[in-house]
Amino acid sequence: MSARAEPHRVSLGLFDNPTSLIYGIGNAGRQDDGLGWAFIDRIEQIHPRPRARLRRTYQLGLEDADLISRYTRVLFVDATKDPAVESFNLSLPEPRLDFSFTSHAISVPSILATTQQCFDHVPDAYMLAIRGYEWELQQGLTGPAQHNLSHSLEFLSRPR
Amino acid sequence: MAGMAKTLVIDPVTRIEGHGKVVIELDDDRNVIDAKLHVVEFRGYEKFIQGHPYWEAPVLMQRICGICFVSHHLGGAKALDDMIGVGPASGTSLTPTAIKMRRLGHYAQMLQSHVTAYFYLVVPEMLFGIDAAPEQRNLIGLIEANPGLIKRVVRLRKWGQEVIAAVFGKRMHGLSAVPGGVNKSLTAADVNRLLRGEDGLSSIDEVIDDAQLGLQMFYDFHDEHRAQVDGFANVSALNMCLVDDDGNVDYYDGRLRVVDEQKKLIREFDYRDYLDHFSEGVEKWTYMKFPFLTDLGRDAGSVRVGPLARLNVTRGLSTPIAAEALEKFHAYTGGRANNMTLHTNWARTIEIIHAAEVVRDLLNDPDLQKDDLVVSPGADAWTGEGVGVVEAPRGSLLHHYRADREGNITFANLIVATTQNNQVLNRTVRSVAEDYLGGQAEITEGMMNAIEVGIRAYDPCLSCATHALGQMPLVVTVVDSQGRVLDERAR
Repeated sequence: MSARAEPHRVSLGLFDNPTSLIYGIGNAGRQDDGLGWAFIDRIEQIHPRPRARLRRTYQLGLEDADLISRYTRVLFVDATKDPAVESFNLSLPEPRLDFSFTSHAISVPSILATTQQCFDHVPDAYMLAIRGYEWELQQGLTGPAQHNLSHSLEFLSRPR
Repeated sequence: MAGMAKTLVIDPVTRIEGHGKVVIELDDDRNVIDAKLHVVEFRGYEKFIQGHPYWEAPVLMQRICGICFVSHHLGGAKALDDMIGVGPASGTSLTPTAIKMRRLGHYAQMLQSHVTAYFYLVVPEMLFGIDAAPEQRNLIGLIEANPGLIKRVVRLRKWGQEVIAAVFGKRMHGLSAVPGGVNKSLTAADVNRLLRGEDGLSSIDEVIDDAQLGLQMFYDFHDEHRAQVDGFANVSALNMCLVDDDGNVDYYDGRLRVVDEQKKLIREFDYRDYLDHFSEGVEKWTYMKFPFLTDLGRDAGSVRVGPLARLNVTRGLSTPIAAEALEKFHAYTGGRANNMTLHTNWARTIEIIHAAEVVRDLLNDPDLQKDDLVVSPGADAWTGEGVGVVEAPRGSLLHHYRADREGNITFANLIVATTQNNQVLNRTVRSVAEDYLGGQAEITEGMMNAIEVGIRAYDPCLSCATHALGQMPLVVTVVDSQGRVLDERAR
């Protein structure tokens, strides 16, 4: 990874190019677990022809190591249950092989480490975690989660 | 404590889906006197599908699994073909394009599912050994030890997923099959991309090369650990799978054939008649039933399904590289059925090759690009009942539905491969327990993992929860015959 922008300096403009990937993680059928996908939805509404590649997934799989190795910059967007996150949190994940793997899912740090180990390139990675509250089998975000989504988009849309 | 039996409970305590635990009962001398595998099954799906329109079955029921969703989608679709009056019973058939599109998706799933089970879950234990530290004996250890292998495996699985996406519209839980056919065929661009590859996507020649990795790894491992592999859980069972008119395995359609340990034909029948042949045993200690051939009884009439069973049943395979590998597989047991549980992994690697070869051949078939997708029999052909069977990666999978005159489902029955394997899975657990736990004073991590290895060879539906990283949280509890805890070990 090259020198990444500090989180407070990150804006969507940083990803407005074809070598960037914005990757929404979650499940729109589980209420606020759909925050990652809703973020992509909103980007598509704001920028009907985005230059960044936009993708949605239920969860990361090992094949995503191959996918992200093809980009110079990746923004992962996922919901978080962490009560320490008041609205959203933007961080700089580091490659680290952890014990998160199952045949269905793997963590962002493990994906980055796998990319580094197997594909010899790690993109500049950013992790946007948006606070969610309800996770039942139901479509649609809760009001507070929608507020947090808007808040995160507003923050990232500010010119730096 | 004299005279008190002791019970070990190996219980995975964290779950993503599926739930299994192992209970091993020991006598005072720590001899194994019983072993049981407990599994929670999918009965909720059979209930909640009732009242839904019949055509929703292949859409909803595939949600049972994130790995073999294609099998559930196609098993359900075949049952609905039967229900609307398409199929051998009515003398009508799907179009060649529809059949080949379904087969293409099915074999692509076989490829990617087997690759997941073998490379992500089995190979770390082959490479590092059953007794290796959990921190090493996992996929992460494999990534660190052999990143070049993982790179090829990732691209192999990814290619399988891309074929699935081309057929079903997306990598997971997509849609293709509809009653009487499919909703789309492939374009020339789809076919060219999958055959020739592109940046980030392997070509078919690379896929065929990579598909042979697993078999060579098995040969190498087998050469070094022959006694351990061959002696691990050698358990008997009948073998069952779908076969074509020549008696060779057909993963999408055919008749169900059962052979014994001498490969003597025991039964061959139309799967629509399964209720005439099978009964189901029930035990108080597990939700999962025990299917068996009624006239033979549960002990003699239980069947094994899945890769090992299929290669025991089939006489040949239709593709050249896999057929050659099958000859060696058959020769190893001198014409008898292979009962060596860990040879399931050998069989799985041969099926990886076969699936890749079949997909290649299908992609080169011009029927995949034609537009004749659906047959629509008249309303008078409606039967209101249908049965579908496919060979899922884990073995024979059966869907059976009935619907009322309005087309709403009134009955659903699923027999998944893990259920078919219930009896042989329990035999495997007992065999491993006897070899690894019996007479021992201390229950070690390696012993506990040996039980998991035995279960994992079947890649059962609870595997999603039992295979993670070799660090599955386990609690081993020793209780006496009164249920009092004598000892407990956790990891």
